[in-house]
Amino acid sequence: MQDFIMLVLEPFREVFTGFKRFAPNILAMLTILIGGLVTARFVRFLLRKTLTALAFDSWSDRMGFTVMMRKGDVWTKPAEVVVRVVFWFLVIFTLMIALGALKVHAVDNLVAQFFLYLPRVFSAVLILIIGYVAAGFLSRTVLIALVNNGYHYAKLLAESVRLLLIVLILAMALEQLQVAPNIVVAAFSIIFGGIVIALSIAFGVGGIEAARRIIEKGATEKKESKDDIQHL
Amino acid sequence: MKTVTLRKEVVEQIDQLKNVDILIGIPSFNNARTIGHVVRAVQAGLGKYFPGYKSVIVNSDGGSRDGTMDVVRSTRIEDQAAILVHHRIESVPVIATPYEGIPGKGSAFRTIFEVADALNAKACAVIDSDLRSITPEWVQLLLTPVLREESDFVAPLYHRHKFDGTITNSIVYPLTRALYGKRVRQPIGGDFGFSGKLARFYLAKDVWETDVARFGVDIWMTTTAVANGFTVSQSFLGAKIHDTKDPGADLAAMLYQVVSATFDLMETYPDIWKKAQGSQPVRTYGFQYAVGLEQVNVNVERMLGIFREGLRNLREIWITVLGQGDFGEVEALGNVGDASFLFPRGLWSRIIYDFALAYHQKRLPAEHLIKSLTPLYLGRTASFVLEMMDTDQNGAEEEIEMLCEEFEKNKYRLLNNWK
Repeated sequence: MQDFIMLVLEPFREVFTGFKRFAPNILAMLTILIGGLVTARFVRFLLRKTLTALAFDSWSDRMGFTVMMRKGDVWTKPAEVVVRVVFWFLVIFTLMIALGALKVHAVDNLVAQFFLYLPRVFSAVLILIIGYVAAGFLSRTVLIALVNNGYHYAKLLAESVRLLLIVLILAMALEQLQVAPNIVVAAFSIIFGGIVIALSIAFGVGGIEAARRIIEKGATEKKESKDDIQHL
Repeated sequence: MKTVTLRKEVVEQIDQLKNVDILIGIPSFNNARTIGHVVRAVQAGLGKYFPGYKSVIVNSDGGSRDGTMDVVRSTRIEDQAAILVHHRIESVPVIATPYEGIPGKGSAFRTIFEVADALNAKACAVIDSDLRSITPEWVQLLLTPVLREESDFVAPLYHRHKFDGTITNSIVYPLTRALYGKRVRQPIGGDFGFSGKLARFYLAKDVWETDVARFGVDIWMTTTAVANGFTVSQSFLGAKIHDTKDPGADLAAMLYQVVSATFDLMETYPDIWKKAQGSQPVRTYGFQYAVGLEQVNVNVERMLGIFREGLRNLREIWITVLGQGDFGEVEALGNVGDASFLFPRGLWSRIIYDFALAYHQKRLPAEHLIKSLTPLYLGRTASFVLEMMDTDQNGAEEEIEMLCEEFEKNKYRLLNNWK
C-alpha cells in the first residue's frame, strides 16, 4: 500500500522539486520585469523633464526635425516622440532580459532568435518610418494641390493616396521581416489591385453621376470662368 | 566669390567697347514675339534722351528656341522721324548672349551685372522682354535719377487696373513697407534702374547658386538696395501691359516663389527690419497721369469656393500656423454669404505675419506652408474685389494704404515672436 502511495505522490514531489528549482527564476523574471518597468517609467519622467528644460522642441524646429515629422503628418511634439521611443525600447529590452532569466532552453532559443532577427526588424522599422513620412508628405501635397484647384473631394483623394502608399509600405516591411513572403506579395497584389479596381468602378460606374459632374464642372470652368486677373 | 565665365564673343565685344556710361539689360526666354518692340523702345529712348552717352544693350537669354536673340540682333529703328529727334541716332551696340548657371531670371541678371561690371557702367536698367506698353520715356525715367547721382536704385511705379497685381498689393508691398520702412509701391515691378556701384554690390553677393537665381530676383534687388542703405526712389512709367505667356499659370506656385523670396530676405536682414519703425515715402519722379486700363474680369464665386474648400480641408495646417484665435476668425468667415463676405484688413495682416513666423520656425515644409496660404489669399482678394467693385482706382489705392497701416500697426506681433 505504502508503495502505491509513494507511486502516487512521486509525481507531485517531482513537480514540487521542479517548481522549487524554477521558482527563483520566475521570481527573478518578475523582479526584472517590475524593476525594468519602474525604471522605464522613471526614465520616461526624467527624460520628459530634461527635454523640456533643454527646449528640445525648439532645437528640433531649428534643426528641421519637426519639419521632417510634419512631412509625415506626425503632429506629436518631437520631445514626446523621443520619450515614447526610449520608453518602449526599455520595455522591450526588459522583457527580453526577463525572459532570459527563466533559463528555459526553448525561451533562451527564442531570445537568441529574437536578437538574430533584430537587423531585419531595424530595416523594417526604417522602411516604415521613411514610408510613413513619404506617404504623409505626398498625401498633403495632393491635398493642398486639389484644394487650391477647388476640387470638392480633396481630402478623400488625399487619404486614398495615403492609404495606397501605406498598403505598399506595409507589404514592403512585412516582406523584409520574412513574414510569409509569398502570401504577403500575393495579398499585396490582391489588395492593391483591388483598391485600384474598386476606385475605378466606384468612380466610373457607382459614382457615374459624380464623375460626370466633376468632369463637366472642370470643362465648364475652363470655358467660362477663367479670371483675367494678373496676380503679380 | 565665383564669377560667371562670359562667352568668348562677349569678351571680345567688351574689349572693343572698353567702357560705357549706360547699360540696359533685357532678360529673355522665348520672347521673340515681344522683344523687338522692347529693343526698339530702348534704342529710341537712348537716342532721344541720352545721345551724348556711350550705351550698350545686353540681352541675357535663357536658351530661347524661337529666335529671340536673332530678333534682338536684327532690330533697328527704321523711321527716326517718328520718335521726334533732330539728330541722327547712332545704332546702339547690342550684346546678345545665353546666360550660364541655374535657369531663371536671377541668372540672367547675374550675367547683366557681370557685363556692367566689366564695362564699368555708370547707370544701368533692366527691362522685361514681354512688355507691350514700354515707351522711350521709360529709359529716361529709370536712368536719369541715377545719372544725376540722386538715386542708386529706381523702382517702377505703374498704373495698373485696381484688381491687377493683387499679390503685390495685398502681400509684398504692405509687408516690405512695414518691414523696411520705405514706401516702394512696386517692389517686384521687374523694370529697375540702378547705379554701376549697386550692380557691383549685387554681383558680389553670394546668392547666385540659391533660389534668387531661379526666382525672386526682383524683390531681392529692391530689398537689398533698401536694407543696405542705398538711395532708393521710384519713377512713374504709366501703364504696365505685358504679354501674358501663360494665363493659366499655377497661382500657388507663383505665390510660393514670391512669398518665399520675401520671407527668405527676412532671415537675411532681421537686424534691419527689427529697427525700422513706421514708413517714409521715397522720392518719386515722372509726371503722373490717369491711364485708361482694360477691363479685368474676376470670378469671385470661384475664389470664395476655393477659400471654403481650404477651410474644410486645411484646418489642421491653418491651426498650426495661425493658432486657435485667428483661425477662429477665419472659420467664422466660412459661414458668411458671398454678398456680405468681408475679410478684415487686420486679420489679413496678422495672417501674413503668422505665416512669416511659421516659415521662420520651420513649422512645415516651406512649399506646403506657403501653398496652403493660397485659399486665404483668394478669400482676401475676393473680399477686396467685392469691396472695391464700385470704387475707382484712387479708392482702391486708399484701401491698400489702409492695409499697409494695419501691417505697420501689427508689426509688434512679428517682433515679439521672432526668436
